[in-house]
Amino acid sequence: MKNFFRKVGYGIGPNEQVPTDPLKWALDQVNNVPDLSWKGKIYSEKELRNHYKDWVYGDRKVLRKKYKDNKTLYKTHKDLLRHKTGQKFWESLEISIRHNEGINSSHPVLAKLWMFWGNFFAISEKDFLANYSTGPYHREIIRPNLNQTFEKMVYDVTTSWAMIHHLDNSESAGPKSITASEDWRKKKKRPATINENHARELLELHTVSPKAGYTQEDVIQLAYIMTGWQQRWSKKKLETGNVWFNSEYHQPGKKNVLGKEYKKGKKSLAVVIKDLVNHPNCRDFVAERLCKYLITDEPTKEMKQPIIDAFKKTDGFLPEIHKAAIKVAFKYNDKYKKFQTPENWFIQVAKTADLSWPPSTDLMDGYELGIKPLRSQRFPERVLRNIGHHPYRAKQPNGWSDDSADWLSPELLIRRLVYADRSYSFLKAGNDNKEFYEKIINNNFDNPGKISDYVFKNMLRKSSEKNVLIFNHPEFLKA
Amino acid sequence: MKINRRDFLKTTALTSMYFAGFGIPTFAKSGPKKNLVVVMLRGGMDGLCAVPIKDDKNFEKLRSKINLDKTLKLTGDFDLHPALKTFKKLWDEDNSAIVHATNIPYTGRSHFDGQNLMESGGKIPYQVKTGWLGRGMKTAGLTGKGLALALPMPLLIRGVPMNNNYFPVGDRLPSKDTLNLIDQVYKEHDEKLLGENLKIIMTRELTNTASDDSWVLASNAGQELSKPNGPRVAVFEVDGFDTHAAQGSTNGAHADCLSDYDKIVKGLNQSMSKETFDNTLIVTLTEFGRTIKQNSSNGTEHGYGSAIFLAGGLVKKAQIYTDWPGLKKKELFEGRDLNSTIDSRAIYASAMSTVFDVDFKKITKEVFWGENLLNLSDKLFKV
Repeated sequence: MKNFFRKVGYGIGPNEQVPTDPLKWALDQVNNVPDLSWKGKIYSEKELRNHYKDWVYGDRKVLRKKYKDNKTLYKTHKDLLRHKTGQKFWESLEISIRHNEGINSSHPVLAKLWMFWGNFFAISEKDFLANYSTGPYHREIIRPNLNQTFEKMVYDVTTSWAMIHHLDNSESAGPKSITASEDWRKKKKRPATINENHARELLELHTVSPKAGYTQEDVIQLAYIMTGWQQRWSKKKLETGNVWFNSEYHQPGKKNVLGKEYKKGKKSLAVVIKDLVNHPNCRDFVAERLCKYLITDEPTKEMKQPIIDAFKKTDGFLPEIHKAAIKVAFKYNDKYKKFQTPENWFIQVAKTADLSWPPSTDLMDGYELGIKPLRSQRFPERVLRNIGHHPYRAKQPNGWSDDSADWLSPELLIRRLVYADRSYSFLKAGNDNKEFYEKIINNNFDNPGKISDYVFKNMLRKSSEKNVLIFNHPEFLKA
Repeated sequence: MKINRRDFLKTTALTSMYFAGFGIPTFAKSGPKKNLVVVMLRGGMDGLCAVPIKDDKNFEKLRSKINLDKTLKLTGDFDLHPALKTFKKLWDEDNSAIVHATNIPYTGRSHFDGQNLMESGGKIPYQVKTGWLGRGMKTAGLTGKGLALALPMPLLIRGVPMNNNYFPVGDRLPSKDTLNLIDQVYKEHDEKLLGENLKIIMTRELTNTASDDSWVLASNAGQELSKPNGPRVAVFEVDGFDTHAAQGSTNGAHADCLSDYDKIVKGLNQSMSKETFDNTLIVTLTEFGRTIKQNSSNGTEHGYGSAIFLAGGLVKKAQIYTDWPGLKKKELFEGRDLNSTIDSRAIYASAMSTVFDVDFKKITKEVFWGENLLNLSDKLFKV
């Protein structure tokens, strides 16, 4: 039963009370979106995007020209610019904020769902998005929508700067749009063509999924509707300007997606999104993904149905969808145990053992722009790369997999062994004693006596191997 | 420029006296274990920088700032970048070759989409969720025979279960006793998959402090590939070919990347037994080549056609295999890039057919959706 606290959250800390009504404990956390619990500095998406601008402009427009004959000087000055714009720091700060929500907030269940949606609408590793933009995108686009409708979340994601950049919609120009007949296109041999990327992912990954049976023509038509949504380009800001609707790039005329007609113009995007999120396959897809994340690799129809019903009944109101998913997870808690992905596991280790994690706000606030960050200030980003599950660096737009098989490889399991061992050095002072370990075990295992024997009755070479045994126990690897 | 477009598939082989007049050894199915190594060159490898054409005035003019001032000699028509020392050594032994003016059929010039397609082997980005190598291994029944020197598992090798990956974490593993305890608990809980993985882990060096330097990774892989029951496929990655600025000539940023590739070949060559190296094929993969013209930052932009390096004992002979499209403006792709006249997937399909001993038609059907690819096995490899 105690695995439920990790199934929908990150477990119970050694100094916390085990909730007497686990279901209520979880359900109560998803009604509102409280402020982030991180007490250190938090930077706005705009401010960080401005650093992104300084980086791309400085590299592309200044350094590349200035040091074109000298790769060493070019590299040196590029590194200076990296530090001037915080390129090696923001990511670690964002991960600290993210993990803190799972470990030290009063809403770990909401945090787990926040991470789910961040991966559902993944920004994968592209250009410098992970360095400057993906963290703030999760905070400012995904998070505030956790108590709104799915429809609003999709619209906000689709028109966000990060997603527009990630899926190239700025490159998409209607072949019959105003810009198509501009002279420079002929001169530079750059005809106006659509870029289908964003439209395809809006269908495939963000709403109805391929099961809806849409055709290539539907993808093209949706891409036409989306033409014009782009970053406002300027000589000084390059591609980092705000997202706007540039009617000169918009494909004129009516479009038809999945059998429905849409008018030309800016407003059609919201209309088509409304239709897509109300498509039965979209509800099924969202239910499927939630069940895969929380419960099992192979969700059944019975699992999905209550989530689908809640979606339908409330017009996709996310708190109700979340509650339905939590109830299903609770119902199947003993029957299905889900192998936890590396980042989930990592946060669970930190929370259940009350580790000094994430780094302190003092350490992170001590960062000075322009100066190379300390190793300790970059540690969060390094760790997540090293465990093979960095939330801002998925390899593809479909984000990180929720299939256990993708996480069961020797190198990835080696990392669990190694990081479980390392977690020992993150114990807070005075916690390396049997009484403390008993609390970890009591709060998080159903058969504490057996686990305690396993950890304490075997002779271990080093004290840190207690952590290896607890956190690599099958009952801990799964939830 | 001495060869032109219609010197169709003329190869410029270096004849080796050793093989002259002798039959090329053939391997029965029960013969020695054959290995395929794929090195992914990420960022867009500049085939014209690695293997420049000789005496082409137009080319020299367009690249006045980044031309190589020193090269290694390959043939009458092409030179080799001086960073590729091991490759040249193998060339002299008839153990390396080049396919020039080739690439995957992708002309979009986006790293993001291009790298996805070079790994999936498809034509629409993100549509296919497995890699061509993974599907090829599945077709050949090579379960549990893949080794990726990367973390996480690259898309390229996905599509077949139970691949291994090796990428040192740089820290000690727990003691053997502790691993045994964990193994026992896995057994008690009937965790088969976890148990199988742990078994592989327990064969590893427990100090596990090796670096992830490419030469070290390659040496490890070479040893693994030499084991009779070891992996048959290995995958490497080299980053950084995206040289928009200060690409440089003999010592530039591109040279550093080529040197990384060369170190992998060297590591494999030195760590493998002779028999293993004789039965190994090392091929490269990149998302696109680069523009023929240097930009104002003495770098190059994203292009189309590139080159593929082939190395190992299964290479037929030292040759530059090409259907050279020419570098005159009208011969360039969209007036700016070296064209690709050979679909590189034909080379990968031929390589898999040769190394996995699977009929070429079966490979094209099951890996590349029955696309009409040319069988180049007997041209490029020892079949």
